[in-house]
Amino acid sequence: MLLFISGISYKHSNSLETSTELLVHSYKIQIQLEQLLSYLKDAETGQRGYIITHDSVFLIPYFNGREKVNKSFDILKNLTAKQPKQQTNLEQLRNLIDIRFIRLSNSLTILSGEEKNLLLGENMLEGNEIMNAIRLQIDQMIQLEISYFNNHQTKYNRDISFTPFITLILLLFTLIIFILAFLKINKDLNVLKNSNEELLISAESIKHAEIIGKFCIAIWNLQTDKLIYSDNLYRLLGCEPHSFEPSIENFLKFVHPDDRNIVSNGVEKIAIKHATYSRFYRVIRKDGHERFFSSMGKFIDNSENSTHISVIKDVTQEHLNNLTLQDKNRELEQSNKELASFNQIASHDLQEPLRKIQTFISIILEKEMTGLSDSGKNYFERIQTSVARMRKLIDDLLLFSRTNKIDKNFEESDLNLLLKNTLQDLSEAIVEKRAHIESDQLPVLKVIPFQIQQLFQNLLSNSLKYSNPIVDLLIKIECERIIAKDYPILDSAADNIYYKIAVTDNGQGFEQQYAEQIFTIFKRLHTSAEYPGTGIGLSICKKIVENHSGFIFAEGKPEIGAIFTVFLPA
Amino acid sequence: MILKIQIDINIVGKKLLEEHLEKLQLDFTLKGIGEVEINQSISSAKLKELTLGLRKYGIEILESEKDILIQKIKDAIIEMVYMEDKLPITSSVSSYLSDKLKYRYGYISDLFSNITFTSIENFVKLQKIERAKQLLSNSELSCSEIAWKLNYSSIPHFSSQFKNVIGLTPTTFQRIIKKRREARNDE
Amino acid sequence: MQNDSIFVLLADDDEDDRLFFKEAFSNIKIKTIVKTVDDGVELMNYLTQTGNKLPNILFLDLNMPRKSGMECLKEIKKLEHLNDVAIAIYSTSASEQDIEDTFVKGANVYIKKPHDFATLRNLLEEVITINWHYQTSGLNRDGFLLSL
Repeated sequence: MLLFISGISYKHSNSLETSTELLVHSYKIQIQLEQLLSYLKDAETGQRGYIITHDSVFLIPYFNGREKVNKSFDILKNLTAKQPKQQTNLEQLRNLIDIRFIRLSNSLTILSGEEKNLLLGENMLEGNEIMNAIRLQIDQMIQLEISYFNNHQTKYNRDISFTPFITLILLLFTLIIFILAFLKINKDLNVLKNSNEELLISAESIKHAEIIGKFCIAIWNLQTDKLIYSDNLYRLLGCEPHSFEPSIENFLKFVHPDDRNIVSNGVEKIAIKHATYSRFYRVIRKDGHERFFSSMGKFIDNSENSTHISVIKDVTQEHLNNLTLQDKNRELEQSNKELASFNQIASHDLQEPLRKIQTFISIILEKEMTGLSDSGKNYFERIQTSVARMRKLIDDLLLFSRTNKIDKNFEESDLNLLLKNTLQDLSEAIVEKRAHIESDQLPVLKVIPFQIQQLFQNLLSNSLKYSNPIVDLLIKIECERIIAKDYPILDSAADNIYYKIAVTDNGQGFEQQYAEQIFTIFKRLHTSAEYPGTGIGLSICKKIVENHSGFIFAEGKPEIGAIFTVFLPA
Repeated sequence: MILKIQIDINIVGKKLLEEHLEKLQLDFTLKGIGEVEINQSISSAKLKELTLGLRKYGIEILESEKDILIQKIKDAIIEMVYMEDKLPITSSVSSYLSDKLKYRYGYISDLFSNITFTSIENFVKLQKIERAKQLLSNSELSCSEIAWKLNYSSIPHFSSQFKNVIGLTPTTFQRIIKKRREARNDE
Repeated sequence: MQNDSIFVLLADDDEDDRLFFKEAFSNIKIKTIVKTVDDGVELMNYLTQTGNKLPNILFLDLNMPRKSGMECLKEIKKLEHLNDVAIAIYSTSASEQDIEDTFVKGANVYIKKPHDFATLRNLLEEVITINWHYQTSGLNRDGFLLSL
C-alpha cells in the first residue's frame, strides 16, 4: 500500500518535474526564438545602420548577430530535437533565415552597387516580408510550443487533480485496511490473551492439583536428553523447587539405596526399549523421612523425537493404609477361625456332660425304678426334659454358627439334586404325613451345596411339621427367573436377575403380622408343648439366603397355608 | 527205616469220637457212620468244646435240624428277594415260605425268631435292603427303578425304609460307595 | 443260632462311656464278650500283637488323645489281617459330612452316642445282630453300612 502510494507520489513528483522541465524547456525555446529574432533584428539593425551610415561599426553587430543567430539556431535545434514538428518548423525557419541573410548580404553587396537605392528598397521590402515570415514562423513555433506546453499543462493538471483523488482513495483504502488489520490484530490479541489466561489457569490448576494429589510430572525428551521436572517433584522430595538440576542422577540420590536399581532399570527400559513402565519404590526425602513413590509413564508420540512423561505419585499414605488393612484382615481372619473353632469345641464340650446326665438318669430310672418314689421319678423325668431342651439348643446354636460363608466353597450345583436329597432325608415324615410334593425344574446355580440342602430341609420340614391334620398335605415348589426391577421389595439393582423359588403348602399357615418375626432366632409361634422345635430353623434359612446374597420372605394365611419365597441370584 | 502203614479211617474216627465224648462225660450212642445220639441235654459250652476238639481232627459236627431249617428259611428268603425281576408282595411271603419249606408259616416264623432273635419280616426287610444296596452300588438303575423292582409302593417308602435300616439315604449310600471306590483306585 | 460269644472291643477314653457300654451289653440277649481299651495307641498295640484274639466288631471313639479314632481307622484299613473285623464308629455327634467321611474311610457303622440308656442298649443289640448276620450269612462286608 505504502509502496503504491510512494510510487504514485514519485510518479507525481516526476511528472511535476517533467512539467517543470517542459515548462522550462518551452520557455527556453521561446526565449531562444525571441533571442533569435532579436539577433536577427540586431543583424538587420546593423545592416540598416550600415546602409544608412555606411559605418562598418554597424557591421559588427551584423556579423555578431549572424553568429548568434547560428548559435541560437543550433541550440534550438538541440532543444527541439525531440519535437519533429518543431524540427520541420525549424528547418523552415532556417530556410527563411538563410534567405534573409542572403537578402541582408545581398543588400550589402547592393550597397556597393549602382542601383542601390532601388534594389535596396526592393531588398528592404523583401527583407521586411521575410522578416514578417520569420516572425510569423517564429510566432508559429512559439505558438506550437505554447500549445505543446498547454497540452502538457492540461494533461499535467488533469493528472495533478487526478492524483490527489487517487491518493485520497488510496489513503482511505489504506485507512480501512489499517482499521481492519487493527481489528483483526486486536481480535487475535484477545484470543491470544484468553488462551494465555486459560493456559495460566491450567498451569496453575496443574500446580495445585499436583500439590493436592501429591503427584508430580517429569518430562523427558529422549532426543535432546532434556529433562523437565514440575515444581512439585522438588517439593515431594522435600526440597525447594528447582533447587537442583533435573537429571536422573540427581533423582537417584533421593531413591532408597535398595530400590535404586528398580528406578535405573525402569529408566533404561524407557531409553532403550521405549517401553513404558510402572514402578514402586522408596524415596528418602531431604528431611530424612521415607516415602513410597509410584511411577507410571507414557510416550507422547512414537516418532523419533519421542517425549516421555512420567507421573510420580507419593503413595505413602495408601501403602501404609494397605498394610494396615492387610494386618486387620489377617487379624479378622484369625479371630474368625478362633471363633469358629471355639464354637465347635464349646458346643461339643457343653454337650458331653449333658449327655452323661441324661444317660445316667435313664439308667437310674430303669434300674432303680423300684427304689424311687413317684415324685422322685417325676423330678428325674423333668431333669431329663430340661437337659434335652438344653442339648437341642446347643445343637441348634452349633448348626447356626456353622452356617457362615467364610471358607465355604461355592460350586455349580444342580438344585434338583439337592432337593432330591432333602426329600430322601425327610422320606419318613413324608410317608407318615402322606404328603404329596410337586416341584418345578430348578436351576443350576453357584451355591454352597449343603447349605442350600439345609435350606430346603428346614422349609420342607416346617411344612411337614405344621401340616393341617384334616387336609392331605400338598407342597408345591415353583421356580421362576425374574428381574429385580419387577420386584421392588428386593433391595437390589434393577438389572439383577434372580431365581424366585416359592415353597407353598396347604398347612396351618400363620398370621401375616408375624411374617418377619419368624425369621428371628429363637422366635416361635407355638409352645414346645404344641410343637417341638427351638425356633432356629427359619433363622438358619435366612442366614443361608443372606450368605448367597439373596432374599427370603414369608406369607401366611391361618388355616389356609403358607408360602415361603426365596430369591437366589443367578 | 521205612514202615508201611494202612489206616482204617472209620475206626480212627470212631475211636476219636468216643474218646472225646467220654472225656466230656457224655452219655452217647454211636448210630453208625455219621451219627451220634447224645442221651442227655448238652450245654452249648460243652457242645462248643466238643465241636472245637473234633474239628482239630477234621471231624465236623453237622448242625441240628433246627439249624438246617433256619438255613433253609434264610436261603428261601434270599432266593425270593433276588428273584429275576420283581419280588412277590409282602403278604405272599408267608405262603411262599410255607409252600417252599413244607411247614406251617407260624412254626417257621416262631422258630426263626427264637433262634436268630430276628423276625422273618425283619430278615426279609434286611435282605431287600441288601439287594437295594447291591443295585445301588453296581447298577445304573435310578432310585425309582430300584423301588419298583423291590416292590415298594413309592419312592418315599423305599427311601424311608432304606434310611430306617441303614441310617443313610440311598443317594448318600451311593455317594459313599463311589468315593470308596475312587479312594481305592487312587491307592 | 450262635455257638460262640461275639467278641466286642471298645476303644474310648471316657470312663463313663465305657461304663455305659459295658452296662448296655450286659443286658443284651446275644452272648458277648466285651473288652475296652483306653486310647488309640493301646488299641493298635492290641490289634497288631500276634496271638491276640481279634474282635468280631470294634467300636471306635473318634475323640481320643494320642491317637484319634480316624487315625486308627486309617491304620486298621491298611492291615489285611483285620479285614474281617467290622468297624463301628461310636462317637458324639458330628456333622453329616464327617459321618460320611468315616464311611468313605472304611467304617461299617456309625453310632451317635445316645443319651438314653435303653436306646443305647437297643442300638448295640441291633448292631451286633446285623453284624452277626453278615458274618454268618455270607453277605458282602463291603456293603455293610449302618448309621444310627
